[in-house]
Amino acid sequence: MSSRAEQDLTEQTAQPEPRPGAEGSISADGVGHSYPGRPERVQALGPLDLHVRPGEFLVLVGASGCGKSTLLRLIAGFERPTDGTLTVSGRVPEPGRGAGVVFQQPRLFPWRSVGGNVDLALKYAGVEKADRAVAREGLLERVGLGGTADRRIWEISGGQQQRVAIARALAARTPLLLLDEPFAALDALTRERLQEDVRSVSHETGRTSVFVTHSADEAVFLGSRIVVLTARPGRIALDLTVDLPRSGVDPDELRGSPEYAELRAQVGHAVKESAAVRA
Amino acid sequence: MSTPAHAPPAGGVAAPREPRRSRPPARLRKILLPVLSLVVFLVVWQIVAATGVWNETFVPYPSTVWDAFVAVSTTQDGTRGYQGYLLWEHLYMTLRRVLAGVVLGVAVGVVVGLAMGTVPWVRRVLEPWLTFLRALPPLAYFFLLVIWLGIDEAPKITLLALAAFPPAAVATTAAVAAAPVGLVEAARALGAKPGQVIRDVIVPAALPETFTGIRLAVGIAYSSVVAAELFNGIPGIGGMVKDASNYNNTPVVLVGIAAIGISGLVIDGLLQAAERRAVPWRGRA
Ligand SMILES: Nc1ncnc2c1ncn2[C@@H]1O[C@H](COP(=O)(O)OP(=O)(O)OP(=O)(O)O)[C@@H](O)[C@H]1O
Ligand SMILES: [Mg+2]
Repeated sequence: MSSRAEQDLTEQTAQPEPRPGAEGSISADGVGHSYPGRPERVQALGPLDLHVRPGEFLVLVGASGCGKSTLLRLIAGFERPTDGTLTVSGRVPEPGRGAGVVFQQPRLFPWRSVGGNVDLALKYAGVEKADRAVAREGLLERVGLGGTADRRIWEISGGQQQRVAIARALAARTPLLLLDEPFAALDALTRERLQEDVRSVSHETGRTSVFVTHSADEAVFLGSRIVVLTARPGRIALDLTVDLPRSGVDPDELRGSPEYAELRAQVGHAVKESAAVRA
Repeated sequence: MSTPAHAPPAGGVAAPREPRRSRPPARLRKILLPVLSLVVFLVVWQIVAATGVWNETFVPYPSTVWDAFVAVSTTQDGTRGYQGYLLWEHLYMTLRRVLAGVVLGVAVGVVVGLAMGTVPWVRRVLEPWLTFLRALPPLAYFFLLVIWLGIDEAPKITLLALAAFPPAAVATTAAVAAAPVGLVEAARALGAKPGQVIRDVIVPAALPETFTGIRLAVGIAYSSVVAAELFNGIPGIGGMVKDASNYNNTPVVLVGIAAIGISGLVIDGLLQAAERRAVPWRGRA
């Protein structure tokens, strides 16, 4: 249909490379969120201040129900904060504009095959139909699901479903990637492989990532920065910059280093403490 | 084939027979039971007719109805079927009308249902009208349709469309309103525009229930067919039934009723098969 030049143009506009500057930054000032509740509104989050620079890999840790998913939903633009101001890449966030999301549940479309789910994401990302097959197979291989494109969603395991969801979220080269406990349903081996993958993806593309987890180990392995939230309503209990050598270091070596163990203990301790103390 | 020592002796005897017994009955029962019920029905019918409690005009023998079936299905002594049309020609005409009416009613119903499910004010405006229409028996507005549209095909197809429209619209509305929020959010997060969300998520998510609505619509349209063919209904099964009843021709009435019922069963079976193929994710969304 369209000429080659037009095609290039659409690809460029649909998949903006994160540029240095505001693109991929998150800025939260006094952000809090409450949900309508029975006797009164339930304060689920904050108020908190949080500023994330482009390219940072932020890991959010905190007890169950402290508002981690809520914060991600705010950043993704599904909800407007009831308090404070939140901007993403300098703008009020809106779904589908600059943030790929992996939800806590896979949320795949059962009327489409594994490959069909990724295809749809590529279509929304503006990839031309002719280029989708190659892109789809590349994305599926990246999450270890090469050759499964024709499988039905209900024929694959929960962990595989979550991996399809990750492939789908990677389809658009958004400057921001939001992941809500994406590896909770995976076995240890697959989890470690995907952790390495996610880290290299965000490192190579310079994307900003916000990653929610319960695991102190996962937090230290992935994060360039770790934020521990207090019990509900979640506020910042610990804001830690991780300075482990990353590039060119073998993942197993990294995991075995004493600095790694120390950081993990520190985060684990903070999580336990924050869960016990109500802010 | 060594049985464990602790197995009870009775079990040892029953065991070899078990696998042979448990497989075929499941399939056999599926065919055998309906056939058996049909046989019982025919026997009871024969007995009731033979007692002579009712005049044969009211309860004819099964064999008389069979003869009528053969008579309306063939050309005998220069008489072609019933009123010059063979049974299958009556049935074909009726099915054509039902198809036209259902396609029209379901198409409009699904579109209206989509609009009602996605746009709240459309639902508020249309819902009372829909409920009003649903409460009316088709015969009630048929006379109005005859005044407006005459006695040819137009009022018949319109009646069937009006009968098929509400169930399709209601089912689609409910299905759209129940589209999983999580999947809608997932599509929006991937950058889907509102139109794409409707096409790629809401419509497929609503499909299983819409299919149920279509089956209901076909059933209701089908059950309105005699009403639709009240005037100028020949050729047509409904017209045939109505005409035969004018002459107390009970056997032909029964043949017509059986033709409507059996073709209805076949159509519903086809729709179910189509549904299984079209929405294999039913119950998995
Ligand atoms: N839609 C909603 N309506 C009302 N309350 C909600 C809603 N969503 C979340 N909450 C409440 O807000 C609080 C924070 O929820 P949230 O899902 O953000 O927690 P979380 O940190 O992601 O927990 P988990 O680790 O278990 O996923 C919880 O107490 C929850 O009950
Ligand atoms: Mg959560």
